[in-house]
Amino acid sequence: MTSYGMVFDVKRCIGCNACTVACKQENSLPDGVFFTRTLSAETGEFPNVSRTYLPTICNHCEDAPCEKVCPSGATWTRDDGIVMVDADKCIGCGSCAVACPYDMRTQIEETQIKAGLFGDGNLTPFEEQGYSRFECGTFTKCDFCSERVDAGKDPACVATCPTDARIFGDLDDPDSKVSRLIRDRLGRQPLPEKNTRPKVFYID
Amino acid sequence: MFNISLKNTLRPGFAGRTFKSGYRFQRYWGTPMATAFFCGETGAGLFIISMLLDFMPGIILGLLITGVGKTFFHLTHMGVPSKSWRAILRPDRSWISRGLWGIIFFVGFGSLHILGQIFGVMPEALAQPVYYLALAGAMVVIVYQGFAMSHSTAISLWSTGLMPVSSMLYGLLAGTSLITILSVFGFSAAHMDMVITVQNILLVGVLVTLISLLHGAKNGSKGAQQSYVLLTSDFLARPFLYGVVGIGVLIPLLIGLLASQNTITILVSGVCVLIGFCLFRLLIFKAGVLDPILSPADIFKR
Repeated sequence: MTSYGMVFDVKRCIGCNACTVACKQENSLPDGVFFTRTLSAETGEFPNVSRTYLPTICNHCEDAPCEKVCPSGATWTRDDGIVMVDADKCIGCGSCAVACPYDMRTQIEETQIKAGLFGDGNLTPFEEQGYSRFECGTFTKCDFCSERVDAGKDPACVATCPTDARIFGDLDDPDSKVSRLIRDRLGRQPLPEKNTRPKVFYID
Repeated sequence: MFNISLKNTLRPGFAGRTFKSGYRFQRYWGTPMATAFFCGETGAGLFIISMLLDFMPGIILGLLITGVGKTFFHLTHMGVPSKSWRAILRPDRSWISRGLWGIIFFVGFGSLHILGQIFGVMPEALAQPVYYLALAGAMVVIVYQGFAMSHSTAISLWSTGLMPVSSMLYGLLAGTSLITILSVFGFSAAHMDMVITVQNILLVGVLVTLISLLHGAKNGSKGAQQSYVLLTSDFLARPFLYGVVGIGVLIPLLIGLLASQNTITILVSGVCVLIGFCLFRLLIFKAGVLDPILSPADIFKR
């Protein structure tokens, strides 16, 4: 059985946010909506200061709290482990957003769609075509670029990462690159204490 | 190398919607949802107490507060109100869905009970089941919101069994308060002395629950500790300590225990309870903090 997951090599991440831009472009995300973010944090005290980057994305949890609390059945998990949202079924109650420990759910607001990326209400042809997939008021999130995955490609953020800090693959295949990285470099999940069993791992 | 300590990098920083690491407020359940919760619990509490006292004005008002008030504010909150009916589809796993079924039972059988009582058209064989089904629906409505919140492990302040307990206690307390307020306007229920005694007992229960909630937050995860700070010494401290605890619990408790019962003290006490409860609902939503996603990064320190 396939179970897709992702590994973030935080040693390689340079915080360029090319993944963020690629994701926004691939998914035609309106202003203010992000499926992936690269968070930064300054550590240490002067003069020994460094900045670290941590890419974040929907963790496509095995025990996804967003799916459990969804009252309308809009959130569901594919056989390959990708957690999906059906915008036609979403009622916009926000229970998924308050259940997600990773803050990875975003509501599509009418103002975001109408204002457009330039904020003047004049949508570009790219926006007009892209925004048609969204329904105002519903919640959305990363789906690992499921249409690309179905076509045998990597998600857009993985394909565009210039340092190969993002690695995508089958967690159920012990010989896949992600499985080997997790095994060899002790991959860790975000907020493991929440018992959501994320399928995103961090290595350093 | 990957040494990200909360002490160094995250305090006192809330990240907001930036690309910084840090605490984040839950931002999707706001005032409309809090008001809907308030209406649901108050209406259900009033309905339950009134059913037990066979107090028809309270039964009708409780049904209206939940059926109209709660429904209105829920629809205001919904991103796609026209599809809200879909929330009935997953009672097997979602407390929101179970709650909607509770509302349907509560409003449906509650209305039948009222019609039966007023017009006397309910057959004897049906009156008893309708009574208990309406009561069961109200019981679900009074607690399900607490369960929905406690189900969210994301927000540590909410992720506690005290949430449904507080929902129940506050709902019943608001119910008794509304019954005492109604008595001021000439709609007096039977056993008013007992209602006031129950109100005092519920006030003590609410006070213990609030202290337990703060105690749990203080000793909980980093996010819960932030919630504790927000509620006790940060910008939410005044409304919480003065409003929820002072006005909402201590003043009515002192009035109930020390002052003589007259129109003014009953009215002041009842209104104080409702103000405190409404503030509690709002502030618990406002103080909901997500743990920093970087918190597991502490384990990278090797």
